[in-house]
Amino acid sequence: MTSTSGEAGPGTGTEGALRRIHAVMGTIVSFDVRVGEAALDKAHVALSRACAQLDRADAVFSTWKPNSPMSLLRRNEISIDNVPAEITEVLGLCGLARDLSGGWFDPWTMPGGLDPTGLVKGWAADRALNELRVAGVRAAMVSAGGDLATFGGPEHGLCWRIGVRDPWAGDRLACVVESPGAVATSGCYERGEHVIDPYTGRAETRCKSATVTGPELWLADALATALLVAGSEGLSFIEEQDGYEGYVIEKGGAVSATASFPFAP
Amino acid sequence: MKRAPIVLAATAAGLAAVLGFHTEQPGSSLLSGLPGSRGAPPGGTTSTTTTPTTTPSGSSGATSTTTAPGSSGSTSTSTTTPSGVRTAVGADVQYRYGELELKVTATGGKITSVQPVIDTAYDARSYQVNAYAEPQLNSQALQAQSANINGVSGATFTSQAYVQSLQAALDKLGI
Repeated sequence: MTSTSGEAGPGTGTEGALRRIHAVMGTIVSFDVRVGEAALDKAHVALSRACAQLDRADAVFSTWKPNSPMSLLRRNEISIDNVPAEITEVLGLCGLARDLSGGWFDPWTMPGGLDPTGLVKGWAADRALNELRVAGVRAAMVSAGGDLATFGGPEHGLCWRIGVRDPWAGDRLACVVESPGAVATSGCYERGEHVIDPYTGRAETRCKSATVTGPELWLADALATALLVAGSEGLSFIEEQDGYEGYVIEKGGAVSATASFPFAP
Repeated sequence: MKRAPIVLAATAAGLAAVLGFHTEQPGSSLLSGLPGSRGAPPGGTTSTTTTPTTTPSGSSGATSTTTAPGSSGSTSTSTTTPSGVRTAVGADVQYRYGELELKVTATGGKITSVQPVIDTAYDARSYQVNAYAEPQLNSQALQAQSANINGVSGATFTSQAYVQSLQAALDKLGI
């Protein structure tokens, strides 16, 4: 194997490490795969399947593509009874995330109409990661534009260590966490995203950056968005979800987190 | 095929617009290329140049073209099916915290390597963290793990600069 594909990972002895980046869903998705005992060609196939999952999600859910099923649904040009199964599934998850977040995540209150984009990216990354899991690789990490889903660790006995971006400086870290499976950060950066407050309909947030960790990225991602809008008081609804933890940086710089947030030692 | 304009992706919306152009093409994974990876044959994978790839024997579409010997160039120029190893250097992108320029190597129409030619941030600490904030393609970046992290959560300016320079290089390669 040559160049970028087959180099051994740092400190992993002879274990193969595969990396790939894939531009999709308006962002860059990167993979870091530690092959373990799995066959290298099997891991390659799994990576291609993982990318295909992302492409499929983009084709179905893109609100930028006028003819995507999601765009058709938003314009009421198809009925909810005729959408692909993925849309039914994702809207179900959106409803769940809305309930679990006390309404602070609500794709039905977006200015342009129903927009599940805030959950789709994490959901698609979960599915992509699952392709690698079922292929039998030892460990993998997928980063969908700064929201990460992982299993295993970079080396035996280690967790994936993820830095959380300092919201005031993209070149600094606010903290480092050990990934329990998913790490999602929503930020209100200088030129960044506009997150809508479902209760006011306006683009406003109560804090500067919100990170949620947990077993699955679709929910961590949605809860991070909710937490950004809700502010540190939202840590209470994070605390109620088994396995999920939250970390908030307020606009004045104050930091708060749930009791068991997985700060790296 | 018109090219997506290279604009500074100042917002998530702008970024989506730039990349959306590429992702609209079914089966064309922008950066799926790794040696040994499975994929469609080179002609149909990443090329965005909509080449007719007429066969020498002439397809139905080729009948209308002139048969003058001198006109052979009209097809040969448009059917430069990517082959061999080619490289292109993308735009030199200045962003808030530094400067980034990428070199893309393609083999047979697939990306096989992306390396920074210029990757500077305005202070040493920025440089260290940028190495991780950029999509983790470069094994060098991963191996120089002095901060001992495997990834970064939260959008970064760096990744926007990365996309911008990358896009320019891909356009040069016609991928």
